[in-house]
Amino acid sequence: MLKIIIPTIMLIPLTWMSKPNMIWINTTTYGLLISLISLFYLNQPNDNTLNSSLMFFSDSLSAPLLALTTWLLPLMLMASQHHLSKEPLTRKKLYISMLILLQLFLIMTFTASELIFFYILFEATLIPTLIIITRWGSQTERLNAGLYFLFYTLMGSLPLLVALLYIHNFMGSLNFLMIQYWIQPLPNSWSNIFLWLACMMAFMVKMPLYGLHLWLPKAHVEAPIAGSMVLAAVLLKLGGYGMMRITTLLNPLTNFMAYPFMMLSLWGMIMTSSICLRQTDLKSLIAYSSVSHMALVIVAVLIQTPWSYMGATALMIAHGLTSSMLFCLANSNYERIHSRTMILARGLQTLLPLMAAWWLLASLTNLALPPTINLIGELFVVMSSFSWSNITIILMGINIIITALYSLYMLITTQRGKYSHHIKNIKPSFTRENALMTLHLLPLLLLSLNPKIILGPIY
Amino acid sequence: MKPPILIIIMATIMTGTMIVMLSSHWLLIWIGFEMNMLAIIPILMKKYNPRAMEASTKYFLTQATASMLLMMGVTINLLYSGQWVISKISNPIASIMMTTALTMKLGLSPFHFWVPEVTQGITLMSGMILLTWQKIAPMSILYQISPSINTNLLMLMALTSVLVGGWGGLNQTQLRKIMAYSSIAHMGWMAAIITYNPTMMVLNLTLYILMTLSTFMLFMLNSSTTTLSLSHMWNKFPLITSMILILMLSLGGLPPLSGFIPKWMIIQELTKNNMIIIPTLMAITALLNLYFYLRLTYSTALTMFPSTNNMKMKWQFEYTKKATLLPPLIITSTMLL
Repeated sequence: MLKIIIPTIMLIPLTWMSKPNMIWINTTTYGLLISLISLFYLNQPNDNTLNSSLMFFSDSLSAPLLALTTWLLPLMLMASQHHLSKEPLTRKKLYISMLILLQLFLIMTFTASELIFFYILFEATLIPTLIIITRWGSQTERLNAGLYFLFYTLMGSLPLLVALLYIHNFMGSLNFLMIQYWIQPLPNSWSNIFLWLACMMAFMVKMPLYGLHLWLPKAHVEAPIAGSMVLAAVLLKLGGYGMMRITTLLNPLTNFMAYPFMMLSLWGMIMTSSICLRQTDLKSLIAYSSVSHMALVIVAVLIQTPWSYMGATALMIAHGLTSSMLFCLANSNYERIHSRTMILARGLQTLLPLMAAWWLLASLTNLALPPTINLIGELFVVMSSFSWSNITIILMGINIIITALYSLYMLITTQRGKYSHHIKNIKPSFTRENALMTLHLLPLLLLSLNPKIILGPIY
Repeated sequence: MKPPILIIIMATIMTGTMIVMLSSHWLLIWIGFEMNMLAIIPILMKKYNPRAMEASTKYFLTQATASMLLMMGVTINLLYSGQWVISKISNPIASIMMTTALTMKLGLSPFHFWVPEVTQGITLMSGMILLTWQKIAPMSILYQISPSINTNLLMLMALTSVLVGGWGGLNQTQLRKIMAYSSIAHMGWMAAIITYNPTMMVLNLTLYILMTLSTFMLFMLNSSTTTLSLSHMWNKFPLITSMILILMLSLGGLPPLSGFIPKWMIIQELTKNNMIIIPTLMAITALLNLYFYLRLTYSTALTMFPSTNNMKMKWQFEYTKKATLLPPLIITSTMLL
């Protein structure tokens, strides 16, 4: 794992010592090279994990997430070039260093093999994200957004620390590889219920679960583009990844404890999808759509069947790429008209046809069109929840319809129809933006040819 | 203050603490405490204004009362065990008295009322000595009598201190009061595990002293005592604003900075002793602390506070204040994990 970690650490001196006109080029190029290295980890042995060292390992669940994280760094850098172009050089380098530091912590989180190490890095990812949102966001609400983000996550994760230390004392070790063999079933008692809650609430807040999702629209909307991309694509998946790891310790209590959270997720995904239909703010729409997709992942992880785990993993990767792409598209709008209101930039298809193609593909993947991996994820989750309880098919069906409704609403409002009058003065699409969209879309479409890689450890 | 006098007074302060730490006879310990207290009064009164006099008087009164209580406890211990050596104290009344006296010296709740007011009335340098060096002596005695301390009493004090330190600091804009409430909360964390694993208390004390020293040095560099004056720092030393950012986050106990180490270790020791609710409560109230540290970083590092035009020219002047040992202090306060 050091072959990814040390190059990522070395990216920081690279930014600080490059010539001013080369910082973006250098960091993006070397970021892409590092993501190539992480692709090697996708070649997993069938029934085991790749153990790199005492502290790091990668299995079929963490390898696709690792690849997503490392792939996203060059994309974030490309997306940030425009809004940072007017800042002084030191601030640009600080921003890039924050992104690289966040990347480093995320890589180590996804490959950590001991649960307390995972916890420390999980919390450590909060600090660069907080700095990016609060320092480089554009509106005054960003201060509140940073506070909500930090405190919601910390409130959930401090009980997790206590619970992990308790389990450490109880079981002797928290190394993920060893603990698979030492698990004892968790009987149903009040203290075990609190233990379950303490373990899961941190990830529920991170996902986010419907009742605790208040930080997400604030943080996503106020963050600069790189912050939104990394939040939507990777940080939410930290919650899903953590949940999948920690539910191995919590059987069979999960069957009993999962009911309230299942109800919240099932109802919440319909609620947040419906709110998307009434949004005027483009980024807010995409943020609520993230909550809705992640609610599906929560349902899948709580059901704990093989198909649902496969669906959850595929959905996490698919949603990461799709949501990040949608944020990039929204940002390209924002950079031109400096407002996130949807109706101010309508009818863009006549002016920017290639960008309209990317909008179309992004909206189609967002509504889970076959044969994309979004569909594979959602379909597996819907089928496994049907087998868990027949009635959920109604809720899932309604959710799919509403998802299609708001994705097409977003597409039609921004692309089709008659353009608004002031739109004639916008700049045409940059090659950088088109490259950004392609780099998001190409893995998404290519993975539909071989979804085995992202289907997780159960396949 | 003339240098020879300052040297003598500083030497007396240090000698007092050393006597407390090194002796095993209770009388000598009391003598050390008194030396320490008497010598620090002129330091607290360096600036001769009524506020400083009030602060020194309050400090003197509380510390003298605490020393007398300690003497009472020592005498009761002498009565029941017949010896002056500091060791396991068999009589519970003596132990409770000594614990109460030492917590009064430290500023643990419910004896915390003097800390914010005294810290506010004195200069930043004196405040730094008050909040760091003065904690060493009582803590060393608590360490030595830790097997015989009544756990319930100390845990109650610790919990209420963490609560008071968190809630009390929320409404403050004066930096010295913020640091005082931070000290109350950190002392609470330290008091919580003295009876279970005193080594962790030493760890927490060391890291707390490092972080508080760094914070005070940064404040002194800027000569700022209010949040407002701290917020002008982006004009003068932009690099220091990022130092304040990570230092505040470290004080708040965020991983992966070194402020997280004591919290992690303390929670681990407490869970090993089957206490689950208390560390959870303490951890969550530490979030209150984090809130007002974060508010400080918001106004200094993360936003560019509005300032008048003539203040914006200050970046042109090189700063001349000596920041002794600042870089290693900051590094150890943030990177030890």
